[in-house]
Amino acid sequence: MKPASFNYHRPQTVEAAIGLLARYGASAKPIAGGQSLGPMLNMRLARPEHLVDLNDLVELDFLRASGEVLEIGAMTRHIRIATAPEVRRAHPLLAAAAATIGHYPIRQRGTIGGSLVHADPAAQIPLIATLCNAEIIVSGMAGTREVSASEFFQAVMTVDLRHGEMLTAVRFPVLAATTGWGFRLFSRRRGDFAIVAVATTLSLDGDGRFATVDIAVGGVDSVPLRIDLSGAAIKGEIPTESRVSDMAAFVADRINPDDGATIPAEYRRKLAAELARQALHEALERTRGVAS
Amino acid sequence: MSETGPFHYIGKPLGRKEDQRLVSGRGRYLDDIVVPGALHACFVRSPHAHARILGISVDTARAIPGVAGVFTGQDLEKWTNRLRLAPPIEGLHPTEIATLPTDKVRFHGDPVAVVVACDRYVAEDAAELVEIDYEPLQPIVSLDSALAPGAMLVDESLPTNLVSHQKFAAGNVDGRRRQAHAVVEASFSQHRQTHVPIETRGCAAVWDPGRAHLTFHAGNQVPHPLRSMLAMRLGIAETQVTVISPDVGGGFGQKIALYREELTVAALARHLRQPVRWREDRAENLMAASHARENLCRTRASVARDGRILGLELEIVEDFGAYCFYPANYMSRVVAMILTGPYRIEDYAFEMKVALTNKCGNGPMRAPMAITSWVMDGTLDAVARELDLDPLDVRRVNMLRASDFPYRMATGEVLEDITPAETLESAVKAVDYDAFRRRQRDLRGEGRYIGLGICTVVESTTYGSAFYKSAGIAGSGHEAAWVRVEPSGVVNASVGLGGTGQGYETALSQTVAEGLGVDPSQVSILTGNTDVAPYGMGSRGARGGTAGGGALYLCALKAREQVLQIAAHRLDLNSAQELRLLDGQVERQIDGRWRATGLSLGDIAKIAYLDPTRLPEGTSPGLDFSLTYDPPPMTYSNSTHACEVEVDVRTGKLSIIRYVVSEDCGTVINPIVVRGQQQGAIAMGLSGSLLEEVLYDENGQNLSATLADYLVATACELPNFEILHHHTPNRRTPAGIKGMAEGGVMGAIGAVTNAVNDALAPFGVVADRQPLSPQYLWSLLQNAPTASRQEGKERSERHE
Repeated sequence: MKPASFNYHRPQTVEAAIGLLARYGASAKPIAGGQSLGPMLNMRLARPEHLVDLNDLVELDFLRASGEVLEIGAMTRHIRIATAPEVRRAHPLLAAAAATIGHYPIRQRGTIGGSLVHADPAAQIPLIATLCNAEIIVSGMAGTREVSASEFFQAVMTVDLRHGEMLTAVRFPVLAATTGWGFRLFSRRRGDFAIVAVATTLSLDGDGRFATVDIAVGGVDSVPLRIDLSGAAIKGEIPTESRVSDMAAFVADRINPDDGATIPAEYRRKLAAELARQALHEALERTRGVAS
Repeated sequence: MSETGPFHYIGKPLGRKEDQRLVSGRGRYLDDIVVPGALHACFVRSPHAHARILGISVDTARAIPGVAGVFTGQDLEKWTNRLRLAPPIEGLHPTEIATLPTDKVRFHGDPVAVVVACDRYVAEDAAELVEIDYEPLQPIVSLDSALAPGAMLVDESLPTNLVSHQKFAAGNVDGRRRQAHAVVEASFSQHRQTHVPIETRGCAAVWDPGRAHLTFHAGNQVPHPLRSMLAMRLGIAETQVTVISPDVGGGFGQKIALYREELTVAALARHLRQPVRWREDRAENLMAASHARENLCRTRASVARDGRILGLELEIVEDFGAYCFYPANYMSRVVAMILTGPYRIEDYAFEMKVALTNKCGNGPMRAPMAITSWVMDGTLDAVARELDLDPLDVRRVNMLRASDFPYRMATGEVLEDITPAETLESAVKAVDYDAFRRRQRDLRGEGRYIGLGICTVVESTTYGSAFYKSAGIAGSGHEAAWVRVEPSGVVNASVGLGGTGQGYETALSQTVAEGLGVDPSQVSILTGNTDVAPYGMGSRGARGGTAGGGALYLCALKAREQVLQIAAHRLDLNSAQELRLLDGQVERQIDGRWRATGLSLGDIAKIAYLDPTRLPEGTSPGLDFSLTYDPPPMTYSNSTHACEVEVDVRTGKLSIIRYVVSEDCGTVINPIVVRGQQQGAIAMGLSGSLLEEVLYDENGQNLSATLADYLVATACELPNFEILHHHTPNRRTPAGIKGMAEGGVMGAIGAVTNAVNDALAPFGVVADRQPLSPQYLWSLLQNAPTASRQEGKERSERHE
């Protein structure tokens, strides 16, 4: 469990990092917190010729909450996202999800950019980014572009990053105070990757009926899935127990997990339904808490 | 505190002496030992579960700068002897293992070649370049396929894969079956697991060509037997080998055998005349060190109407993996011999089958007989279900009482000084059994399912030589000790055990202190260096306290006797009868009261070493003592575990609500150390029952070679353990010590599974295999005959 040899670079600016990535192309790999890439290097599952260490890029460690947008720099650690008052105010769902990532030492090192680029289909940050239509900012020699989360995640651990590009920040729409949110993660042990995770945001109209509902599910496909609820005819409905259960069943019908070595597809599907039910209830509780 | 009983130092909750260095990063594990000029080894491992080796090409690997050599099984055949296991045990086939395979590989991870290089990085680079031409063979990855007629042979020198097969019968189980009110069958399937010591295997071998001597640094539980084995396999004398086992980061049974990798490293150090070291990485440890468990037990109980067991039959089948580093009958044998444990069962028969498969070889793992108590108490639960009896009543009607001891089990083993009825009743009282049943009934009405599982354990702890002999297991159960009072009066003592974190330096210093009469702070325990320690059998089972502590205690008594004789001489007394040594001071009883004499152990030691002409006539100078001690055939501890769980029937998630254990492990040497063992053992049992699983696919590919796949419980997954104490000394051992530390594993496995089945009773399903994963429990409920079928006919109603 020793990595194959590589050339180590430690750029001091984003421009320098992009320059290295552009120069070495596919033979280079950036490393941020190293919580996934580290083991992959040691197991020789990843064998880049050039490792570009981003840990001196302090300019990418930032939180900016301004009006409608919470912008987070790529090198911001999970621990900060989980605990910073500005995240807990602007996007409590993101903070809550980040607090469940791995264990304390992992959250100290792992970064939001690393998690997004690594794109584990069961990871928290990609799930919340998908649910909330986050905008992902990538920079390269040709400049900067914004990619919506729905297009950024392409397949298992595959994202829309082109030659020489790196992720520099992500923008989440701020959650309105009236938005209820719910997050449920099921894993064998605390800190493990989810078998299934469900996140939801919703709002009610003045009569207490559903105005908007969004749900995303992680761990059931190659990328986090934002469920298209238009077929569920939810808007204007009263959020009863049975309506919530129907929505959860609707979500489970929209996913198509594979059979795993130890986890049957049907179990994942049923788990998704149950977690969706719980997450919706959690979100409804929150909207009621706000309303009262 | 009461735990000290008649003792001054035994039973005191002294803080662990070793923790100062171990928790402050100053321990010395293998990697802390600097060996100048050492080369690093990396093993090339088989990607196949079963394949013929057609050819190995090492030229490309050897050409890498920094590589000192690449070696194969053919090379090792020249420098080492094979391991032949042929104990005279009926029904056990002899086996032989080459140091590295030359003809075929037998499991995914089997070492095929070794690269030795300037560092591990280069060694791994070169290992990737060793080209091996394999002809894949059909892998045998299940007991069924191993035992199928005409099955492909894992070991081609055997007639079949059934490497060991024994039967036993006492009484008349056939007759009992015919007389029985009912015959209840039950099945228990325990999955494959592995030890996961924090410190993986590893060694550093230094060959001194001048002295023709091997110094072998390795974390090991049995330094002296390891030395003998090394000498034998290398074809050198035991005098040519020193084993040094420094601080060891856990063993759990994985660090007993001399493994092929370690022997290879030793042979290469000798061949290359340069030190060679090897540190196994985590993937290797999970895949290829040693596995454990994976056995299937079926019981058939012939019972009377009240649940009394008239006759019991056991069939145990074990998947032993590809290689025998231990006699294949060993673990199953202990299960079968002690199965009936705390219950009166006179008519008992068993059949044991052990099969080879294309998996990593099995070895003992903390509680080699781990499944025993689950099988026994799980059978009683099956009886209760079948006969609609309360599971607690079924236990009570079968349990041995105080007046029954000593009790000769059907297998001939004698139980005495144990208290299973007492631990059962105290555990049941602690959980308030009746109140639990009421709560359970109420919660079922709300769609919540809680369950209570009870498991009473009779733990075989210290195996004396007589047991090994009568059980047909190779080995001896004796232990050796020396005690040396130094000229200043401080004490060094040593024993043949090999500690792996148990707290020997503290607990064993208390046994020496007790025997001699000095404060434990004055006693240093030296272990793990075969040039220093006496030849003992090392650490395995739960023998450390009884065999090791017992030997030291007896040896210290011998030392005290001589010290007091010298004191009597100095005090002009005719005998030492009125003298005692306490806290290193000689006291004399005058008119029923102990009074200071002014003589200290230091004074006596000074005379013994530096002024021997003042010693009594015939007393030799110095204060140096040694002895060996062979414990009784077997000692037993006992405990009852009660576990309360809740199963979320929507997700299959299992939560442990409460865990109570009532344990009687005799004289407690140090309650802090014992509590650590109780907690650690229960944690290990729960972790194995709930999470840990070595997984192979249908091609024999290991799917659990990382700690993200092989799940070990953390503090987050474990409940608080409530521990109740009983202290019934063993009358046949020094200081009444019994040994403990494996029973917690046995009890946890049974208690948690019985609890799950109690929770799921309304659904008419039974979990008869582990791990109790959420997907497994969920799948059981999917296939439930009728949900809540029995909801209306509450068990307790009928029996109130």
